[in-house]
Amino acid sequence: MYLSSLSLRHFRNYIEQHVDFSAPKVILVGQNAQGKSNLLEGIELLSTLRSHRTSRDQDLIRDAEPIGQISAILERQSGSVDLKLTLRSNGRRTVAVNSEAVRRQLDFLGNLNAVQFSTLDLDIVRGGPAERRQWLDAVLIQLEPLAAYVLQQYQHVLKQRNALLKQHRVHGTPLDPQQLDLWNQQLATAGVRVIERRRRLLERLAPLAAHWHSRISGHHEQLQLVYQPNVEPEPQSPEAAQSHFLAQLQDKSTAEQYQGQTLVGPHRDEISMTLNQTPARQYGSQGQQRTLILALKLAELTLIDEVVGDPPLLLLDDVLAELDLNRQNQLLDAIQERFQTFITTTHLGAFDANWLHAAQILTVESGRLVWPKA
Amino acid sequence: MSTVYTRPLGRLVEQLQRLPGVGPKTAQRLALHILKRPESEVQALAQALIEAKQQVGLCSVCFHLSAEPICDICRAPNRDNSVICVVADSRDVIALEKTREYRGKYHVLGGLISPMDGVGPDQLHVQPLIKRVSQPQVTEVILAISPSVEGETTTLYVGQLLKPFTRVTRIAFGLPMGGDLEYADEVTLARALEGRRELE
Ligand SMILES: Nc1ncnc2c1ncn2[C@@H]1O[C@H](COP(=O)(O)OP(=O)(O)O)[C@@H](O)[C@H]1O
Ligand SMILES: [Mg+2]
Ligand SMILES: [Zn+2]
Repeated sequence: MYLSSLSLRHFRNYIEQHVDFSAPKVILVGQNAQGKSNLLEGIELLSTLRSHRTSRDQDLIRDAEPIGQISAILERQSGSVDLKLTLRSNGRRTVAVNSEAVRRQLDFLGNLNAVQFSTLDLDIVRGGPAERRQWLDAVLIQLEPLAAYVLQQYQHVLKQRNALLKQHRVHGTPLDPQQLDLWNQQLATAGVRVIERRRRLLERLAPLAAHWHSRISGHHEQLQLVYQPNVEPEPQSPEAAQSHFLAQLQDKSTAEQYQGQTLVGPHRDEISMTLNQTPARQYGSQGQQRTLILALKLAELTLIDEVVGDPPLLLLDDVLAELDLNRQNQLLDAIQERFQTFITTTHLGAFDANWLHAAQILTVESGRLVWPKA
Repeated sequence: MSTVYTRPLGRLVEQLQRLPGVGPKTAQRLALHILKRPESEVQALAQALIEAKQQVGLCSVCFHLSAEPICDICRAPNRDNSVICVVADSRDVIALEKTREYRGKYHVLGGLISPMDGVGPDQLHVQPLIKRVSQPQVTEVILAISPSVEGETTTLYVGQLLKPFTRVTRIAFGLPMGGDLEYADEVTLARALEGRRELE
């Protein structure tokens, strides 16, 4: 797919900006705090309806404005789509596809696919399990828009169940066994769906990531991604998986009542990442960790391409200049002309002259795009 | 606000803004509109507000909004006494009545089980429902509660309590996931009523 234009209206530090993209590689160059990442964030929002930088729409709307808007024209193999997201300071959002409002966000997701790669992504290796789950879930939503609903449903049941356990612990409200039982069932039903989807995804993602890592590291390192679910999946039947989940809840019920929170379920999943059998988190050098993230991103890119049948966009926020020339070339080699790529950078010096030549270069200056003089 | 509007106007705008779905701009538009109307009309509006608040309470049988101790639906002699449709809110009664497909009685729970909001079964009108359903003329209870997480828990909870007394069905939702009854169009609701199924 190919983004042919983007308009930002009262979004972050942009007032009113329209831009037509004319090359498969677009470079946004500018000093810090000018709006480069903001533009990529706009594309990310059209893709996932989430931003990895904030969960408050108020932050996304230009200060002192009530409404912000992001719209774009996307060329897909199946035809051209016109996407629009309207953000309001009261948190209400509306989305439209081809100028028609769609009521469910589900119907908006899945139009624009993008893989994004920023310096923050190092946290996938260095951070805790929550960072890894978040990464996996973001890929999941791109591939299976319904997963957004499944994950949200699970989080919601989890919150309710935690509230019930907490009431009991903090206020000594007697636990109504009948009510707890119903929340258990709902947690198990939603939880099993999450576990199954994560398991399926990792099964496909792991070999691709291993392939890319091996290639970039010159076949010196073997990357292994392993799903470590808190409750083991039972792919044979959802019923078996649910009763297994319920049995785990039963086992932990005393501890849960004592702690006043849910101790069983996919909100405690881990995804282990090892390089030559040692955990990448502790043992990997900075360079190895960068290679690993690059391999994950390339795996995402190729998997989405394969599943969706249309190459996703690639958003590279400040990371390209941080990679050494070997890794830069590996990445550019993998992208070729197939994936439209948006690159932000503070300086052009670190890049290969050959492909700079073929790129569309835009300068970003305090919330405005400046085209180079011809 | 006090600096922009002369004081009584500011108070009016502020009050209007507390209404659901009314933002500052709409509140201002409504307030300025009210000031332009003849005084008699504004009197009528004020009186309607006060009277509605003072006179409308809950039906002592079904807990639907009612100015009488027992509501019109509960008193209607031509409605089917043997079926009770259980809903979360009075808004749902109004939505179902608009379909004109249902001729039985209602029971309004007054909310959904939601530990986050401190609402458990004791905060809902569940006990009076059990009493109603235990009467011999009741042959079916229809649970018409939205399929949200809270709705599902409430449906199953109430269903378990009522099943010893009578047949319990739930309406089949072709509704948007997590959707409210209120927003479902009438055709969808009517179809959902027809396609109700036995509660497991
Ligand atoms: N809601 C907002 N309204 C106005 N300006 C904003 C808003 N959010 C962020 N900014 C501004 O955007 C700039 C940061 O933009 P960003 O795209 O992150 O920079 P960079 O070009 O370094 O990637 C900062 O100057 C910040 O003050
Ligand atoms: Mg930036
Ligand atoms: Zn009544």
